[in-house]
Formats: sequence, structure tokens, C-alpha cells
Amino acid sequence: MEFKVRAYRFNPEIDDKPYYKEYAVQDFPGMTVLNALMKIKSEIDGTLSFRRSCRSAICGSCAMKINGISKLACKTQVNPEITKFGIINVEPLANMPVVRDLIVEQESFFDKIKEVRPYLLGQRDDEEHYKFHALKEGEKIIQPVYYKSEFQNLTGNNDTPNCILCECCYSECGGVVGNKNYLGPAALAKLYRYSEDPRDNDRNGSRLVNGSKPDGMWDCVHCQACEEFCPKGISPVKGIVKMHEKAIKNSINFSSGAKHIISIAKSIGETGRLDEVKVAFDTGGITGLINDLPMAFGAGLKGKIPPHQA
Amino acid sequence: MLKHDVVIVGAGLAGLRACVELRKKGIDAIIVSKVYPTRSHSGAAQGGVNAAFDENDSWESHFFDTVKGSDYLGDQDAIEILTSEAPANILELQRMGVVFNRNDLGGIAQRPFGGQSFPRSCYYADAVGHMMLHGLFDNVLKYKTKILYEYFVTSLVVDNGHVSGVVAYDIKNGKFEGIAAKAVLFATGGYGQVYSSNTNALINTGDGMAVSIKAGVPLMDMEFVQFHPTTLKSTGILVTEGARGEGAYLLNSLGVRFMSKYAPKAMELAPRDVVARAEQTEINEGRGVDGAILLDVRHLGKERIMERLPQIMQLSIDFEGVNPIYEPIPIRPGMHYSMGGIKTDNNGRTVIQGYYSAGESACVSVHGANRLGGNSLLDTVVFGRRAGVDIAEYLKDAAFTKFDESLIKRDEEIFEKLKKSNGKERHGLLKAELQEEMRANVGVFREEKAMKKAVKKIEELKERAKNIGVDDKSKLFNTDIVEAFEFSNILLIAEVIANGAILRKESRGAHYRNDYPERDDENWLKHTLATLDAQGNIKFDFSEVTITKFKPQPRTY
Repeated sequence: MEFKVRAYRFNPEIDDKPYYKEYAVQDFPGMTVLNALMKIKSEIDGTLSFRRSCRSAICGSCAMKINGISKLACKTQVNPEITKFGIINVEPLANMPVVRDLIVEQESFFDKIKEVRPYLLGQRDDEEHYKFHALKEGEKIIQPVYYKSEFQNLTGNNDTPNCILCECCYSECGGVVGNKNYLGPAALAKLYRYSEDPRDNDRNGSRLVNGSKPDGMWDCVHCQACEEFCPKGISPVKGIVKMHEKAIKNSINFSSGAKHIISIAKSIGETGRLDEVKVAFDTGGITGLINDLPMAFGAGLKGKIPPHQA
Repeated sequence: MLKHDVVIVGAGLAGLRACVELRKKGIDAIIVSKVYPTRSHSGAAQGGVNAAFDENDSWESHFFDTVKGSDYLGDQDAIEILTSEAPANILELQRMGVVFNRNDLGGIAQRPFGGQSFPRSCYYADAVGHMMLHGLFDNVLKYKTKILYEYFVTSLVVDNGHVSGVVAYDIKNGKFEGIAAKAVLFATGGYGQVYSSNTNALINTGDGMAVSIKAGVPLMDMEFVQFHPTTLKSTGILVTEGARGEGAYLLNSLGVRFMSKYAPKAMELAPRDVVARAEQTEINEGRGVDGAILLDVRHLGKERIMERLPQIMQLSIDFEGVNPIYEPIPIRPGMHYSMGGIKTDNNGRTVIQGYYSAGESACVSVHGANRLGGNSLLDTVVFGRRAGVDIAEYLKDAAFTKFDESLIKRDEEIFEKLKKSNGKERHGLLKAELQEEMRANVGVFREEKAMKKAVKKIEELKERAKNIGVDDKSKLFNTDIVEAFEFSNILLIAEVIANGAILRKESRGAHYRNDYPERDDENWLKHTLATLDAQGNIKFDFSEVTITKFKPQPRTY
């Protein structure tokens, strides 16, 4: 079967604006979108540019929009896409600037990963005395003991350590659309992964404090897109919600997001209904209320009140 | 011109492990990588990393298994280091944040692996490489390391036997850059793309090895190419040995567990060279299933498959259209790993002062003629760490040497010339021809006539490569030109492999010759060393194998 690939093309060095180019490709059984792109590149047009590496859905290089959805090209079969859409439409990921063709600038994404301090803070006491050494004849090493239960949120098939940083979630994230500075699902999944690690020695709860700052975990809009589009079956949003709960339980409630939740609970608990003005006041204070006014009026005029700003 | 004390080229496990060692001492080490570090191919390692922890196990037993697995070609002093430092290295990784599955006593869980006499492969489901890669990378971030990613290293710069740095091509901006350094570590991985039907990433084009041999550093034992017994039939994607470790069967078209014929004791858990040959024999003798063998995990049950082999399940569904819970997986041998590489000593040093290598790009040699499953990840962390420690020592009285800037110009001109060429040959198609030739004629079973044909084909491709045209003339993120240059690297590596394989007139480990089916310790218990002469022709030399504890014995499983 011959099918068409319609690729987003843009090389700012020579093109004034992006355009689409169509290629006819002959398929073979089990062909993936990455196979098709590679075939185009090696046989028809060497200028078509995209990232790729492992071709087995573990390195995260070849994420792109395929027929409108952020996916790994190596993991996406051509056949079902053609059956559904009649064409393979490939475009670069969203929420990141395009460098060229299907290649996006990832620097801000990786900077956000760095921001959550993706490593263990300090060491558990029984680990601190450990010194590296080669074993002598007949010598055995004594391991520190960690039970399965301590790692229960880290060793499941769909748990956050399986994240491959492919940026599919980031590309689909509603929170990033609204706020470019929002950390986004992958970075927050990383934060969750380390905050759940039994070896992490975060004595003063600084992870959740930092995560609660503006542009952090409370900026999640709960659209569930990260879970829906993760090619590895991970749900960053579940981790985010668990961190919300943990923050409130630990009285880390300085953020407007936490105040918002607490106020809603209080309002419903006390009166049985949602006092939206009071919730808005509790969330943002008097300045918050004033800042929200223009938006409230604007939304009101169009007949819409966004729940977060109400 | 950039200037740093240490330049680490390649950001897979070996490079990252060395980097952590240097950065935690506050040393000015930077990473230069063709891809963002987490895209490195170490992440695709699935099954496990070996270390003797159990009280009934011992590192000495791991030592012997590895020597035997190497078909006695591994250097025993190096293997002793590998196995005696293994447990401490694994615990160090755990301390850095790597998660391993647990056993009921609270220790690290271990599964059986091929050629190992005890279950000693530590794992994280079937994605231990991914776990280790991200865990180490997170530590590199912790020490705020400068990372030049999407920089492609084209030359090693040497001054009078001392390293002076590297020349790198900034892929995004299309610029060449000289990076001066007191020490350089190549942790650039393997060359899987030399073969069709391989388990490797598309980035594994043997760049570090090619750059090294061109700079005068010998490549050792390059004729030893590992074929993994279980790769998906249609794509060559890896199916972990951990599947057999968990108890999977290999079946031929008659539904028979044929390994009983080839390795009656070890069965499916014989070393990779033995299993790959057994499978190929079954296929060649007409007992294959559409050119494949079946890997059957059904009897393990859904729960165990989901818990221990989730990635394998998903890969089989996505890439082969087979759900292993209900159907056996069609697999066949595929090129997987390079036992050979840049010749180093036990600290990663090469013949050039200040120039190091570690991981798959290096040949210490701990794997000899055949690597055991679970020993490659171990190799990367043990020798990556050792290289880091040694570089830190070396820096104490090392200085920057003269950087020959004409090399930057030279590489720039090579790229410019390629870019300007309107030749009719397409590098992508030439690459496919080369890969198929190598698979067919320098593969699992080898013989002189076929290999000579392969060498001739390589000669022909070298000629045709002079006429390569590159479509992409742009400076910005030009992947076309990078691929064209990569092709010249794999062509050179293929030439070294094929010639080395013709030279070695015996069968040892993964190198099996139909025309010389026996191991010949009298004449061939030695390493081959390949270098280039002034005309660019490959010449071979030999070096002794270090034997300390275990005298060569017949190798049966």
C-alpha cells in the first residue's frame, strides 16, 4: 500500500514561514511512523529533519505530533493511523519553540527538570557510613535493608521512575499553554518520584515547599492530558494530586492553590455550599480579588466564569 | 575555542559514571554528547546488572563464570576487578538514587542470567538500564555539570603522544568548535548500525572507535561481535535475557525445547554465543518458524509477566503484534554488542597520555570473545568509575598541551565538501547495503570466502561513498550531513571487523568459523590490535592475554 506523509516543514534559515510537504511512501508490514520518516529521509528528501535514537520507545527522542496528538513516532504504527485519518500528518511538539521541521527547542523543558532538584537530598544514616571498596578473597558485602513496601510507589509498571522525558505530556499540557513558566507534568512527576523515595533525606519538607511556589504544582489545571498522552502509561497528575494532599496534611499552605482548596473545604463544611467570593478572597486576599476583577468582568460579559479565578 | 580540564564524550552510563566521580571532587569536567544524555542507548538495557550479593554466592564464582563466558580471551586481572568491585558499585548506585527491585529480606532482588552459575542479576523490572541512566544523569545535574548536547565529535587532537582535546560539530548551529582539555574520556558506545537487524539505537555508529583509530589508538578484538539470541523478528528490538532468566522457553517449529541438544545443562540460560548459534542452526536446518524461533513465556502467567517483564510485553504488542501472555514471541539472533573496542588498561588509559575510554567503546578486556548478559552495565559503572578516579589523579600534574587548530579547519572542510557535493549516491542506501552485507557474511557463522566477499563489498562502497550527495545544504540542525559522516565511521569499523574476522583462524566465543570450527589456544589465545598505516590501510598486531587464576579448559554448558 502506498500512503501519504504530510510533514510540517520550516527552516528559518531559508523559509519565511512554515509550510507542509507531502511524500508518498510504500509501506511494509509493521511499519512505524519513524520507519516512514527514515525512509523519506534516506530515499527521497534528506532535508526532512527530526530527532531519533533507540526506535524502541525508551529514549524519548522522536516525540512529535502525529495526526494532532503528541506521540513517539517509533511506537506509532502506520496502518491504524491511515485507517483512521487516511494520512500521516507530522508536526513538531507544542509548547516549545520550533528549531527546524519536527525539531523543537527543549532547553526550557530540561531547565524545569533541573529546578525540582531531581536527586536525593542527603543520605539515610545507615548509608552514610558506607565506604566503597573492592572485595577481598572470601569477603562478602553487607547490604542496607529496604523493604518492598518502602518503594511501593516507585516500582510499579506505570510509576514515575519510568518517565523517559519525551515531552509528550509537556506538549499536551493545558497548564503550560496558560503559563509558560509552569513546571509542567514531567518535572512534577520527577519531583513526586524523589519525594516518595524512602532514601530521600528532605528534613524540612523543602521539596513540597519549593513545589508549592508560583508556577509549581498548584498551577496544574487537572486536565488529565499528561496521563492520557503518556506513551509509558504514567500519570503525572496522580502524583501531583498526591503532592497536593501531602502539602495540605503537612500544613504547607502558603500557596494560593492550597488556600483555595482549604477555603473550598471550609466553605462547604460550614455552610454546605460554595461561597465563591469568600473562596476568592481566601485564595488571593484583597489584591487577588482586585487583580481578578477585570478577568471576572471580561468573562462575565462573555457568559463564562473560569472556576480557578471565580 | 573552549577550554576545560576534562572532556567526557558520550553520556551513557560509563560517561555519566565517570562524570559524577569527577564532579563530586569539584573537577572542571564537561559532557559532550551527540544527543541529550537521557537519549543514550544505555537506557535501552533491560535485564540486569550482575553482582554477587547472596551469602551462597561469591564474587569468585562470578569471576570464573565471566572468564569461562569470555572463552578465556578476557584478561583475568581486569575480570577480577570487574567482579570484586561489582557489589560495592551496585550499592553506590543505590546510594545515588537508583531503585532496584527488592527480595523478601529487604535486599536487592536478583534473577538468573545466561552463563551465570547463580542468580546474581540485579534488576528494576525489565528496564534497569533506563533506571540507571536516569539515576546517574540526575546526579550529574546535582553537581551542576556543563553539558554540550547535540555536539558531534569528529576528531581527537593529540600533541606528541599527549591528548590536547577534541574537535566537535555543534549540530544545532552548524559550527565547528575546538575544545581543549587536559584529559579526554571517550564513552561513546558501540557500533550496532554496522549490521542490519541489530538491537542498537540509530545513534550507535561507532564514532568514538573510528575517531580513535584515525588518531592512532589501537582497536582491540574487533572481530568479536555479540549476537543476542532474542530480538524481535521484524524489527530486531531487544527482548531481554531476563525473560529466559524468569523461565521462558525457546521452541522450534516442532514445539521442541531444542536447547537440550546444544546445552543440556544450562538449556535456555547458556551464554549468548551458544544460544544464538543454536537458534541459527535450527533456522538453517528448516526447523524455524518463518525464519524465526519462538520465545514462550506463557507458562509464567499473566501476573508475573506484568510484574517482571512489562516492557517486553508492551514491545511485543507494539512492534510485533503479539501479546506474550497468550502467544509465543517470534525472535531471532540480532547484532547486539561489541566485545572489542578502544584498547585500554584497567583504569581506562589508552596509549595516548590523558586519553581514556570506558564502557562499550572500550576493550579492557573483560568480555573477551563473548560477553555474559548483565556484565555490560557492570562494565560501564566499574570502569567508568575507575576512569573518573584515575583522571582525577592524572590531573594533579597534567597540563594543557598544544592544540593543533588546523584540525578544526580540516573537519570543517570535510563537511563543506560533503555539503557541496551533488553526487548521485545516497548515504542512507549505501548504509543499508553495508548492513545487509555484514549480517549475511560476517554474522553468526563465518567463513573465509564469504568474508572476503564482504571485504570486497566494503571496498566497493568506499569507492561509491566518494560520490555521496547530501540534500541538506543548511547550517541549522543539519542531520543529513551528520548521517553522512556517521556512514564514513561505520564503513571504517566494518572494515576493521571483517578483516579481523578473516585473520582469526579459529572459533572462539562469538567468533565462529565454519572453516575453523575449533578453538586454537596454541595459536590464537591472543588479542588482535588493529591500527591504520599512513595510507589508511588496516594492519594487525597481537598482544598477550593475561591469565592469572584459571587455565583455559574446554567450554561446555
